[in-house]
Amino acid sequence: MADLGNILLFFLFPVSVFTALTALAAGVTKRRGLLEAARRGAYAAFAVTTLAVLALEYLLVTSDFSIEYVASNTNFALPMFYKIVALWAGHNGSLLLWTWIVTIFTAIVAYQHRHKNNDLMPYVLFAMASNMIFFSILSVFISNPFQTLYQEFGNTLQEFTARDGHGLNPLLQHPAMIIHPPVLFIGYVGSVVPFAFAIAALITGKLGAGWIHTTRRWALTTWGFLAVGIVLGGKWAYVELGWGGYWAWDPVENASLLPWLTSTAYLHSVMIQERKGMLKVWNMALVIATYLLAIFGTFLTRSGIVSSVHAFANSGLGPAFAIFLGMGLIFSVTLLLYRRKDLKPDEEMESLVSRESGFLFNNLLFLLATIAVLWGTMFPVISELFTGDQITVGPPWFNNIMIPIGLALLLLTGVGPLLAWRHTSVETLKRSFGWPILGSVILVVVLLALGVRDGWALGSFAISFFVMWTIVVEFVKGANIRRKNSSENFFQAMYMLSRKNTRRYGGYLIHAAMVVMFIGFTGNAFNSETRAEVGEGDSFDLGPYTFNAIKITEDQNENYSSQTLELEMYRNDRLIDVINPEKRFYFASDQPSTEVDIYSTFREDIYAVLSGMSNDGTKVIVQVYRNPFVSMVWIGAFILGIGTLFAMLPNLRESKGGAQ
Amino acid sequence: MNSKKLKFVIGSLVIIVAVIVLAIQGMKEDTTMSYSKSVSEVQMLGSRAHSLTLKVNGDLKKGSIVRNNLDLDFVIVEGNSELQIHYIGKDPIPDTFNNDMDAEVIVSGKLQQDGVFNAERIQAKCASKYEADYSSPEI
Repeated sequence: MADLGNILLFFLFPVSVFTALTALAAGVTKRRGLLEAARRGAYAAFAVTTLAVLALEYLLVTSDFSIEYVASNTNFALPMFYKIVALWAGHNGSLLLWTWIVTIFTAIVAYQHRHKNNDLMPYVLFAMASNMIFFSILSVFISNPFQTLYQEFGNTLQEFTARDGHGLNPLLQHPAMIIHPPVLFIGYVGSVVPFAFAIAALITGKLGAGWIHTTRRWALTTWGFLAVGIVLGGKWAYVELGWGGYWAWDPVENASLLPWLTSTAYLHSVMIQERKGMLKVWNMALVIATYLLAIFGTFLTRSGIVSSVHAFANSGLGPAFAIFLGMGLIFSVTLLLYRRKDLKPDEEMESLVSRESGFLFNNLLFLLATIAVLWGTMFPVISELFTGDQITVGPPWFNNIMIPIGLALLLLTGVGPLLAWRHTSVETLKRSFGWPILGSVILVVVLLALGVRDGWALGSFAISFFVMWTIVVEFVKGANIRRKNSSENFFQAMYMLSRKNTRRYGGYLIHAAMVVMFIGFTGNAFNSETRAEVGEGDSFDLGPYTFNAIKITEDQNENYSSQTLELEMYRNDRLIDVINPEKRFYFASDQPSTEVDIYSTFREDIYAVLSGMSNDGTKVIVQVYRNPFVSMVWIGAFILGIGTLFAMLPNLRESKGGAQ
Repeated sequence: MNSKKLKFVIGSLVIIVAVIVLAIQGMKEDTTMSYSKSVSEVQMLGSRAHSLTLKVNGDLKKGSIVRNNLDLDFVIVEGNSELQIHYIGKDPIPDTFNNDMDAEVIVSGKLQQDGVFNAERIQAKCASKYEADYSSPEI
């Protein structure tokens, strides 16, 4: 099976080259037959890669420990479910997953456009097949998941089968970790599609809004998957890494944020192009940047260039990625410069207080955020280059710069949509913003009275309140207008209103989701924690809570042994919950693992970690965090997902008998 | 340049300058920036070592971990150089960190005048575990 998988995977390389070359030839000669051949090539690439993935799955599920990847990431006792998802637990397998998604997307695009966009498609397929070539080179020649185990035997290398595998890294044995990589990868790889169309538009000179309309759903899907993938990563870090937080500005985290920032900028600025024919070069640049940053993120994770807790060990892929990135960058920038004259704006900007300028400042802030994150992430490399010292900038640096930018963007979320195109009068401003501003001021006064003193937190709550108000007003006002002219009740009216312009109201829903998430982020300003060494019967306090250590139990199954602390949690002498932080020791991987226990409500999380044993073994060290509003981050991400799906629904057209 | 355009340019410049100021003002040698050094490099820094926040990497000296209530002390080594570490951080120490581990350790914190390193964070890397060292082959 390993040989079969290897052969299948190897076929991907010539098939990708064939697809790219025929697509290019189709573009140059404009012959339909060649385009059709390239399309078949895309289907074939998808087919062989799918079969290769199935072959690897077969090896994983049947625990074939003659294969290095299988032996490194699974073991006999591992539950079947984890054997299946071990496909993306390690470097080589996850690279195959990535390659697979590229071929899936290429095949989908080829199929979707089998009868249309015949002028663009040759170059679209060429760009996508170039990606397939690159990833097939990596998967086949550098990081092959079908590699067998070797051992030195005298002077010769000999294949052998390990008695048992090393098992799956305990940190990865968590549900969020199972969906986080595929979701994030779909987000990353999805950026290839708008990129390929942008490149095709640049090459063919068909620079109208065609390529933008065609890729709108792709861009939105990519964006949504990236967002949800990033938050799932945070969720995993939160429940699995046991340090009480979900975001640490780690290079790998930043790598996933970068393309999200540029693609968010794009989703906004593209509206200006559609409406006013401005920012054409800029939009091209954002699509290209998003794609390159997605590749850059993969490079960062797998090259070991910046040290990170999450990163794969140095995989030897660094140089290959650097070359591919460099080629992509030079190729796209050259094309962009070549076409810059044809990308002149149709209109000029008119007023500082207008929708367009709102978008413009939105884009400026997203761009600065991208540069800041990139700068901070790469600072160890930059500083070593110039001073010889490798200097890391920590989370406080990122917070110092990203909190103001984030709040400014959040504010624009409320202000922007209410500004009119071209110009907004002072009267309109007063009417739209008077009440929300007053409401926010009152909120700040109330919070101050309640003892909140953190300036950023006050600002964040005030802005969140303001933005939420303006969003709710948009829905209510729209629904009321509809209701006057129809027999619909309020909720029907609100539904119909949204369905008639899904992009706008889906957008509002996403904005509301961001507000909810920002409330969650702001909770960080009020975190508190305590650490205690307890034996059975001991107790300690954190804020209004009292914790009683009831029992320390030890247990064992075939996968791991464990120690669990039973901790009663009281508030005002009332038992709230019993939490059970646990420490496990996995036999196969020979690794300990901390299983935190979290008591979670809308208001706050109580997060308990069993961090160690005392020397004599009768007591345990337990760490308890009190984190307000964390659940808002997860709820916000969920709303964001719903909003993204909603924005992709086609607009409902009403029959003549319906509301006007 | 017309006046409308000028307004945009000024508005944008204000934002850009503000962000640059934040970026520069955020770079502080003693708090937000940390210098990555190995154990022997720390000793070569001399007196400068005390004024910087350092990220020191070295190998955990086997058996050197001493726990006393909530306190934790250990030694990291590189060749012949040793560094005594005292953990003053609040976060739980990593799972991979224990006396029989062959672990590469990264500690962040400051070097005290007495030569003891006060670590606020400990990261343990246990790189080799997943790469080599299989159970004996069945031939």
